[in-house]
Amino acid sequence: MTALASLRDLTVTYRRDGNEVAALRRINLDIVAGERLAIIGESGSGKSTLALAIAGLLPRSARIEGRIDWFLPSSGAKSPPSVLPDISPSRGEIGSSTAGSPIASSAIGETRNEGAISPLEGEMSGRTEGGAKDRQPSTIARDYKPLGGRDIGFVFQDPSASLDPVMAVGKQIAEVARTHLGLTWPQAYAKAKSLLERVRLPDPDSALQSFPHQLSGGQKQRVAIAAAIAASPKLLIADEATSALDTIVQAEIVALIRRLVAEDGMTLLFISHDIALAAELAERIAVFRHGELLELGTTAQIVGAPTQAYTRTLLDAHIGLDAAPLLSRAGLNA
Amino acid sequence: MSLLTISNLTKRYRRGGKTIAAVDDVSFHIDPGETLALAGPSGSGKSTIARLVLRLIESDAGRIEFEGNDFLALGGAALRARRARLQMVFQDPLAAFNPRATVARMLDDPLRIHGIASRAERPRRIAALLERVGLTTDLAPRAIHEISGGQRQRVAIARAIATKPSLIVLDEAVSALDVSVRGQILELLLDLQRQEQIAYLFISHDLGVVRAIAHRVVLLEAGQLAESGDAHAVIDAPQSAIGKALVAAAPRLNRTRP
Amino acid sequence: MSPVRRFLSTPEAVAGTILLTALIAMALSASLLFPGDPQAIAGPALLPPFQDWSLPLGTDRLGRDVLAELFHGARTSLAVGLAAAAAALAVGSVVGTLAGFAGGLVDEVLMRITDAFQTVPSFLLALAFVSVVGPSLGIVVIAIALGTWTGPARVARAEVLSIRERDYVASARAIGMHPLAIAFREVLPNALPPVLAMSSVIVAAAILTEAALSFLGLGDPNRVTWGGMIAEGRAVLRTAPFLSIVPGIALVLTVLGVYLAGEGIVETTAVRRGLS
Repeated sequence: MTALASLRDLTVTYRRDGNEVAALRRINLDIVAGERLAIIGESGSGKSTLALAIAGLLPRSARIEGRIDWFLPSSGAKSPPSVLPDISPSRGEIGSSTAGSPIASSAIGETRNEGAISPLEGEMSGRTEGGAKDRQPSTIARDYKPLGGRDIGFVFQDPSASLDPVMAVGKQIAEVARTHLGLTWPQAYAKAKSLLERVRLPDPDSALQSFPHQLSGGQKQRVAIAAAIAASPKLLIADEATSALDTIVQAEIVALIRRLVAEDGMTLLFISHDIALAAELAERIAVFRHGELLELGTTAQIVGAPTQAYTRTLLDAHIGLDAAPLLSRAGLNA
Repeated sequence: MSLLTISNLTKRYRRGGKTIAAVDDVSFHIDPGETLALAGPSGSGKSTIARLVLRLIESDAGRIEFEGNDFLALGGAALRARRARLQMVFQDPLAAFNPRATVARMLDDPLRIHGIASRAERPRRIAALLERVGLTTDLAPRAIHEISGGQRQRVAIARAIATKPSLIVLDEAVSALDVSVRGQILELLLDLQRQEQIAYLFISHDLGVVRAIAHRVVLLEAGQLAESGDAHAVIDAPQSAIGKALVAAAPRLNRTRP
Repeated sequence: MSPVRRFLSTPEAVAGTILLTALIAMALSASLLFPGDPQAIAGPALLPPFQDWSLPLGTDRLGRDVLAELFHGARTSLAVGLAAAAAALAVGSVVGTLAGFAGGLVDEVLMRITDAFQTVPSFLLALAFVSVVGPSLGIVVIAIALGTWTGPARVARAEVLSIRERDYVASARAIGMHPLAIAFREVLPNALPPVLAMSSVIVAAAILTEAALSFLGLGDPNRVTWGGMIAEGRAVLRTAPFLSIVPGIALVLTVLGVYLAGEGIVETTAVRRGLS
């Protein structure tokens, strides 16, 4: 197992009305190349902040400490040192020698913007403010910076917000391919068409010319996924990508993500509030709560033998099709 | 006698010159104290039915009979008075409250409008409502945006039960909540149903929750009724294509030890 | 950070606040510092400024104290500007809310009336109104409001159209609230922020319109106005330009102050809303 990215003592703090709120506290986590890793947690757990931090999309108002090291073999970066996956959240002391060297805290002022992810929004889950404007460029230790779009594909919760409403979807996908792969426009459009075929959008030829409002929610999310994988990224981050969709479309999108990740050998970071959905897709699950990594393990370990009471609470709270009824059904007929 | 009877309800929209039936000839009934779930994928018309039943939008055809009266014949003051018996809880409790309001004002509204309590008596009634839904009374002066999502949904339920309704429409009322909060809200709803004999029209896309809380279920597809019956019977062995697809798509948690 | 401190953190807001505070101080202290009629003769005619320190800004053609006139004129400008803007905002918000919330025929009728008012240049409307009804302070306020309520009405209507589709309006209907109560308790307060954001521009425009009416001799003849002072000075513009320049500068600084302070308030509330 080789790591694709390695997070050491990652701490993210938001400023809000003069108060500092820690959205993530000293996170140590290795993302293994080629794995499907799920990050689960409720609102305020910091799971979306983690996704944005890894993608380098945090708003400027966020203060970042700790480090994210990348090991991207094909991009000419130095060969990955032998880093074993650090799966124990209690090993925070390992990175303490570097904790005092903030990697991206320079020149972060008080600039506020509406894209800020707020950890204080109450208990509503499945709601991610993922506007892509005014982001802070990713500043990463070591010599190599991953580039959003080329090395990391990002799929947001709400495809209507992440797609440009006045640009044909074909052009939106082609633009990604043109920017990162250096294609000409005709080549980029051909690539866009083949991507729309890969995400199984019906009638890709006419879909190229259509606008987001002409597509259903599930179709828009397929387009967003096509744009995210257009430059063949190493890492695909799906942040609550199925939360706004109904169960049937959700299952289709999950199947699509699973197939694309397998075909392209991508690493998947699947952010979700739904532990059952995460368990169906991921090989490993990381459980977050209040900005801390509580538990990390294989899906079988987390689902079958969780060590944390909170993980058990999440598992017990799942109401599946085989759950015991809450309703005493005799009551009404008696 | 049934509490609510919907017969041949139809609602059409014009979109780009074409007429689309969002709800197409749907009929069902709800008995007093019963939970009927409406389930289906997005665009199946379940939220449109909720709004038709509450007369937030008007139907194109069909009948709605509520507590033995023709509900569609009511208008003006008579309709507003009858609304006390038929309440609604929305999916997103933040959007369902005036952003400037306090908890107390949201609970004061129904008590004032329907003359349930005098001005002097209302603070006590508001406190009682908050306690009924498991909240502390010191929440009353707080602004709606200051309290948590779960607390907000409890306030929404308190507002709905303030007028002692016989039916509450729950439109995806637990879908946006964190899972740990969702269970508590479902327990609260069941407790209220047991104590006050309130019937629920429970709208959800989550068959797991529907199976856990509903007596009967109506499955919808593209505005039409696809299948209906006992919630367990339908979900454990669906007959319709949409029922089978919904059951197949529900995430499953295999909790056997490794 | 408190809203006041955030407001004062921008230089524009500080400059605007200083200018406005000075203006309000002038208006409030006018009868204390210059008791008696500012239009009474106080000295020799056409005394230039900075000659006689009992009349620091000199006197006009009739020997009236320019400084006293300036202070009393601040009172008129401020009163007319604020009253006209308040009237325009109130009428506009109510008309816009009713049109947007009721829809249908009510909307159609109210918006065609709004169109009718908007097609006539607002200054011509004010001019015609004052000429017909006769100049007095109240009439000038109404005349200015007649031409400016349409902007707030359109903004309020657009805002109401989006707000009336929100869940909390549906929720208010579901509990049986009366439509008028929904319009004015639930919808209007939430439609106001963008309407109030226009207030600084409206106040500034109202002050300028009042000055223009006075300049044309259509102001209240019993009150000193800056526009009237400029008109007075026009006849002797070559020999005593200060008579027009002094009230002119006061007018420019007032409009600037209102505008800057208004922008500061809009900025402050926008930042607050962006954060929450």
